[in-house]
Amino acid sequence: MADALERITNLVALLMETRAPLTQQQIVDELEGQYPTGDAAQRGAFERDKALLREIGVPLESEVLGGNDAGRTAYRIDRDRYELADLHLAPDEQAALQLAVAAARLADAQFGLLKLGGDRSSAPVVVANIPELPALPALREASAARAAVSFGYHGSPRRLHPYALLLRERFWYVIGHDVDRGEVRTYRVDRMEGELAVGEAGAFERPADFDPRATFPTDPKMLGDEPAARAEVLVDEPRAAAIERELGAAAVVRRLPDGAVVVEVPCTNLDAFRSWLFGLGEHAEVLGPAGVRSAVVEWLQAMAGAR
Amino acid sequence: MTVRRGPRPTGDRLRRLLVMLPWLMERGEVPVAEMCHRFELSEQELVKDLELAAMCGLPPFVDEMVDVFIDEGVIFAGVPRLFTRPLALTAPEGFALLAAARVAMQLPGADADGALARALHKLAVALGDDAVVVETPQPPAAAAVADAAQRSARLHISYWSPAADRRTEREITPRRVFFEGGYWYVIADDQLSGEERTFRIDRIEHCRLTGVVDPRREVEVPHGDSWFADDELPAALLRVPAGGGWVAERYPTRSVQADGDGWLIEVTVASERWLRDLLLRLGSEAEVVRPAEWLGLGAAAASELLRRYERAGSDGS
Repeated sequence: MADALERITNLVALLMETRAPLTQQQIVDELEGQYPTGDAAQRGAFERDKALLREIGVPLESEVLGGNDAGRTAYRIDRDRYELADLHLAPDEQAALQLAVAAARLADAQFGLLKLGGDRSSAPVVVANIPELPALPALREASAARAAVSFGYHGSPRRLHPYALLLRERFWYVIGHDVDRGEVRTYRVDRMEGELAVGEAGAFERPADFDPRATFPTDPKMLGDEPAARAEVLVDEPRAAAIERELGAAAVVRRLPDGAVVVEVPCTNLDAFRSWLFGLGEHAEVLGPAGVRSAVVEWLQAMAGAR
Repeated sequence: MTVRRGPRPTGDRLRRLLVMLPWLMERGEVPVAEMCHRFELSEQELVKDLELAAMCGLPPFVDEMVDVFIDEGVIFAGVPRLFTRPLALTAPEGFALLAAARVAMQLPGADADGALARALHKLAVALGDDAVVVETPQPPAAAAVADAAQRSARLHISYWSPAADRRTEREITPRRVFFEGGYWYVIADDQLSGEERTFRIDRIEHCRLTGVVDPRREVEVPHGDSWFADDELPAALLRVPAGGGWVAERYPTRSVQADGDGWLIEVTVASERWLRDLLLRLGSEAEVVRPAEWLGLGAAAASELLRRYERAGSDGS
């Protein structure tokens, strides 16, 4: 039997050229001698071919026929959907995109670039490794098409109008209007559970002034439903300069003669605050408010007592 | 060129062929070697697929058959009117191209109004209004370090070394700069240790050019956790409560398994100090299972830190 590549290439040509959709039987007849004989083998080979076309992104359309052929499925490929639209990239734009793809090191971007006529660049000096997740392409398409999505999260179903995707720190977030909760919510894409279902296009409008960066604070110490709170922290000299750079000079409340600084830090989210604090090891001490200081002391006492 | 083993899946071959045919037709003739390089195929693989394609089309019309022949290392092609355009971008390709362009727009030295911005705009129009936002915030030293890496220029830096818990002064020659897991790093030749080292750029407190320019040297940027999950580093097995699962998301691990409501996580330990600070953040509900030398590490660290708090309000709050 012929190489499957030859048969599938012919299948693509046939389904792109046909005016009327073709049934499996018509296809087998047209591609004479290329499918195996015997019903089961033929059906199996045709199913594999269809799956393979869909896997590589060929827009295979199917419809169930009426009339004499009632109940049979027929297939064709819409040439307009099949063919890549020309982006009309100028040479310098093409070159810039090529460098971007080399810097971001995403395999799918490399292949997309080939389709756009670009080539591979040698590795640039500055590169970025960003996390890839299987749900991201479908979420982006849903967001662009304004289609609602549904998925599981912490064990319960969610329905969302996805406004945007945001990569912050090391995580991808999808931000949108939660249909059941009636407000803008943020979900970690890597924590989504179950199948992602995408609804019809044009299901919602995104607010014109929507900015995903502004929907939740960059600083995890400010996250949470508690009222905003701040703590004063003494940072010893060895880490003082780094912390001042991290928080900005405006956060410095006092400077001590030995080079230490007292800084004001958000502590709305106590877990995130503690995590930041202990990242400084023994070089930091909470001075106040008293409630935050005693919470840290109790945390340490529980640990010390667990010895 | 990438070397593969075993038969290539038909899907991969078809995916490539549907891009190769329109490209070939536009070029008319092209050296085999050039095409192999571009499409990452060996000469044998390329010739095999093109010979198969040469039999494809819609018989009996000759103008609808793929016409390819290879002569003295050059491919000559006439492709029917069927395969004149590549297959449209798939969802993963569209997403990855947009993400790559958005990431590159944020790299040190990117030009916000330049060619990349224009390319990105055309891409976003073609793929539909997207709203993919990427944040790769740069520490203050990033631009200077990236510039030095481009030129192999040696820098003097003040660096906070977490393992030693102190600031060090050293000269480094930056080679490659990379973003991974929320942080920027530089791989550099470190004069202090005489070895190639990786530094976190946000821990560089000051840097200045020394005026020395070293010979160029190529170094590889690792992908994923591989650069950190060094087999030479020790590991520790931790038992953490349900809320401690973030450890596995945030740090390189050797194994993760559910343990009742919580987790048993084996982490790679960059330094004892790092493990100590991690235990402080996890609190009393987490414990080290092994090795024995670290069983009491968390409690000891907490006791030591408590002494500081017991010296009643050292700054008179």
